[in-house]
Amino acid sequence: MKRNKKFILLFVVMALIIAGCSNNAAPKEVEKPKDEDKKVETPKSDAKEAPMLEALVKAGTLPALEQRLPVQADIMIEQVTDEIGTYGGDWKMPWTGPGDKWGIGMATEEALFRFTKEGDKVEPNVAKGYEVNEDSTVFTIHLREGMKWSDGVPFTADDVLFYWEHMLTKETFGKKIYDAYYSVDPATGDRALAEVKKVNDYTFTVTHKYPSVQFLERVAIDNKWFFAPAHFHKEILPELVGDAKTLEITKQWGYEDPKVFLVETGYYDWIHYQIPTLRAWVPKTDANGDQFVMERNPYFWKTDADGKQLPYIDRIVATKIQDPSQKLLGTLAGDFNLVTFESRDFTVLKENEKKGDFRVIPWTQPTWSSAAVQLNQTTPDPNLRKLFQDIRFREALSIGVDRVEISEIVTNGLAEPIQASVPEGVVGYQEGWAKQWAEFDPQRANQILDELGLTKRDKDNFRLFPDGSDLTLEIVEGSPDNAAFLELLKKYYEDLGIKLNTKVVDQGTQFDLKYANKIAMHTENISVANLAFRPDALVPLRVITPWFGHYGLYSSSGGKEGVKPEGDVALILELWDKIKGSKSKEEINQYSDEIMKLHMKNQWVIGYAGPTPMLIAASNKIRNIPTDVVWADEYRTLGHGHPSQYFIEQ
Amino acid sequence: MLQYIIKRILLVIPVVILISFIVFYIIQLPPGDYVSSYSAKMSAAGEVMTQAEMDEMRANLGLDRPVYEQYFVWMKKIILHGDFGFSFNFNKPVIDVVGQYIVLTLVVSLVTMLFQYAVAIPIGIYTAVKQYSAGDYFFSGLSFIGMATPNFLLAIILMYLSYNWFGDPLLGLFSSEYVNAPWSMAKVFDLMKHMIIPVIVIGLSSTADLVRIMRGQMLDELNKPSVVTARAKGLSEMSILFKYPTRAALNPIVSTLGWSLSSIFTGATITAIVLNLPIQGPVMYNALLGQDMYLAGSWLLFMALLTVIGTLISDILLAWLDPKIRTEFRGN
Repeated sequence: MKRNKKFILLFVVMALIIAGCSNNAAPKEVEKPKDEDKKVETPKSDAKEAPMLEALVKAGTLPALEQRLPVQADIMIEQVTDEIGTYGGDWKMPWTGPGDKWGIGMATEEALFRFTKEGDKVEPNVAKGYEVNEDSTVFTIHLREGMKWSDGVPFTADDVLFYWEHMLTKETFGKKIYDAYYSVDPATGDRALAEVKKVNDYTFTVTHKYPSVQFLERVAIDNKWFFAPAHFHKEILPELVGDAKTLEITKQWGYEDPKVFLVETGYYDWIHYQIPTLRAWVPKTDANGDQFVMERNPYFWKTDADGKQLPYIDRIVATKIQDPSQKLLGTLAGDFNLVTFESRDFTVLKENEKKGDFRVIPWTQPTWSSAAVQLNQTTPDPNLRKLFQDIRFREALSIGVDRVEISEIVTNGLAEPIQASVPEGVVGYQEGWAKQWAEFDPQRANQILDELGLTKRDKDNFRLFPDGSDLTLEIVEGSPDNAAFLELLKKYYEDLGIKLNTKVVDQGTQFDLKYANKIAMHTENISVANLAFRPDALVPLRVITPWFGHYGLYSSSGGKEGVKPEGDVALILELWDKIKGSKSKEEINQYSDEIMKLHMKNQWVIGYAGPTPMLIAASNKIRNIPTDVVWADEYRTLGHGHPSQYFIEQ
Repeated sequence: MLQYIIKRILLVIPVVILISFIVFYIIQLPPGDYVSSYSAKMSAAGEVMTQAEMDEMRANLGLDRPVYEQYFVWMKKIILHGDFGFSFNFNKPVIDVVGQYIVLTLVVSLVTMLFQYAVAIPIGIYTAVKQYSAGDYFFSGLSFIGMATPNFLLAIILMYLSYNWFGDPLLGLFSSEYVNAPWSMAKVFDLMKHMIIPVIVIGLSSTADLVRIMRGQMLDELNKPSVVTARAKGLSEMSILFKYPTRAALNPIVSTLGWSLSSIFTGATITAIVLNLPIQGPVMYNALLGQDMYLAGSWLLFMALLTVIGTLISDILLAWLDPKIRTEFRGN
């Protein structure tokens, strides 16, 4: 021990000497580059636009504010969370590069219709408003007159029509036509594609053959960017300029394959500085660089209640990191000022709140659990499948684990020791679900397992199938993040005599295995803001969520492949068909509720710890971040707090 | 000698071709491909990709074709057009990706090398001349620690200390305001400040190695008759030291210079990830992880080529330095 200490001491001393020596070589004070924005101080001034834009207007390189905003009546007034802000500052965030395009994409997204704060309905955003006819077949959508793209070109119904005619329905950007645009005849199951027509420059209609009650919500989920800068895409689409020209432009941009190029420009358009946008910030640099910078959009079409053009924050500066720990370290050191974290970093963030001059804001998530297992109901092994489909087996696995210990160790006690269930306040909440099979009762668990016929034991005292064959559960993980949970799970399962192995593979492999139905147990957590909006996690429509495995393939292939759903799973699909053909929201809510009840009854997903919040670590200088918002992919995560009205105290 | 060099250069060609094939084959070995790792990443971010979309993407990228076909297309482009293919991760030609990182990589590697030699050679000489003194024990102990400590761990410790004392962990090679700024004195100083930790960390283990080698060589040389003669003739200790034993002791160090060629171009990997350095090592690592195969393949090929060339250079250097080896060439 003593020797160890000496070594460490020696080591530190050396490090010090070396660090000290080299530090002297470099000047201690490094001159900061002059910041243009800092020169102009405008504390709570009446200026209606940012100083950096004001300067451009004075220089004559930018039209005056009135010409950049939509006509007075059509300006969108964004409600500020707490107070009217001041202009300036950078939102500094870490990012892992273009692979993390959604992180920055969702935060800056401007949807045609966005979800309200409560998340139960949509409100106009890019659109000014809408009307819908009696039977929900014709939607008339109004746009904002005088609204402009970030390059100053007017945004009109033509941009919507162009997107519809030349991109979406031609499937140029690697996505099939979204489900939202199909309406379904409840009687025959016939699917019909909607028709989109221009009425005038600022109005268009979407006409469905059959009632589509949830059309706007579905669009807000599937295809919130129901528009594209026609003047940009006109120049690159092969349909309009010819394949040879598109290939030439593709090469100019440094791409090789025109299809990949069209996906990048047509779908992931927000990370390319060449493409005009409606977002509050416009990319300025190559996303592959070490720092990705977005700067305020001078033509942004929202103002606060005082008529000050948004956004308040000048720039978004995303600095590339290579390891997640750098996100944490950078936040503690103040290099980043608005960052999101999983709850596992809660303790270290809280400990450093004062020193780092930031605050931690928890946003609740509509997740069912933070530690759970999903049992693949279609797993190929017949013995295992039979077992997984037996509700008693799931009960045994559920009550055989001490949830109090799991939530203490895995979530620092942040999560409640409850069953995987819809959290209170989220659509689909069921009374008593959280408590279902949540009590730790190993004796009863063992008794159930015996009743199931798993009484034979091998030489290590693990249970065998009744026919004497080996019973091993295997969890395939895509990362080592869940290690603590899995270790505890292994202990409890093995106490019940059930052998559990975990295998960590890389993410891509795990993904492939899931699609090939080769994963029997998975630890994915269910997160659903509203089943009727996005059913993927709970209704087996395609291969995606581990619990229903290849039932999903059966649906997506029209019964040609996969496993035919039976019993309650078949019932869920029937209910979903009813939702699609529903004529009113009440009907939809009722059917969704029934689906939830089936989930409650069957508990295909066994949760061992309740949901944990998403943490936002924000510098104390950044204001207007709401504290009572739900973090969900459907609501566009950070974007749900409307970042264009965040501001940095100068 | 010339004949020998030509022969060696000709031999390099089949070796590199063989390596390129092995490299391409190995990259294909792990299950899954770029599309599966990409879709996994996208689905983690909430984007849903259907099987059909993934198949289409595979077809677009040419990943649905058999391995040998992909290999031949790749090789054909390299040989005929000097085109190393396309990086899926970056959506850029491989050459551009390499170009983006090569300057900083070379800067970090070369500065690190200079640091190594500047620190190791004097210490090596000192510890040999003052064998078994307190200073010798101190530096020898230190170099053993240096060799035994994993670089990335040291990186973490230094980052922690830097954060604790200066409030800045000195991640990356630039402060955020300089990353996209044009070059200026201030930016160079900023770079220098940020290079302290990487240079120490990356350089330390090889420095420790070099100290040991230098010390051993010097000890061998110090008792050679040439030194005794020089001393007998009354030369000063200093000029004896630098004229005879030091020159001889440098031989092994010079002859291994060529081997470090590939590491100069890649830079460190794990340490670079820990320290968030924008150099080739992490780019290469991510390419392998994400199955960005043309980028990874080109890099492996490039490294193999550099190793082969490095060996060649070492051989030539050795032949040039050491008359004994030169004679052996002639014998052939």
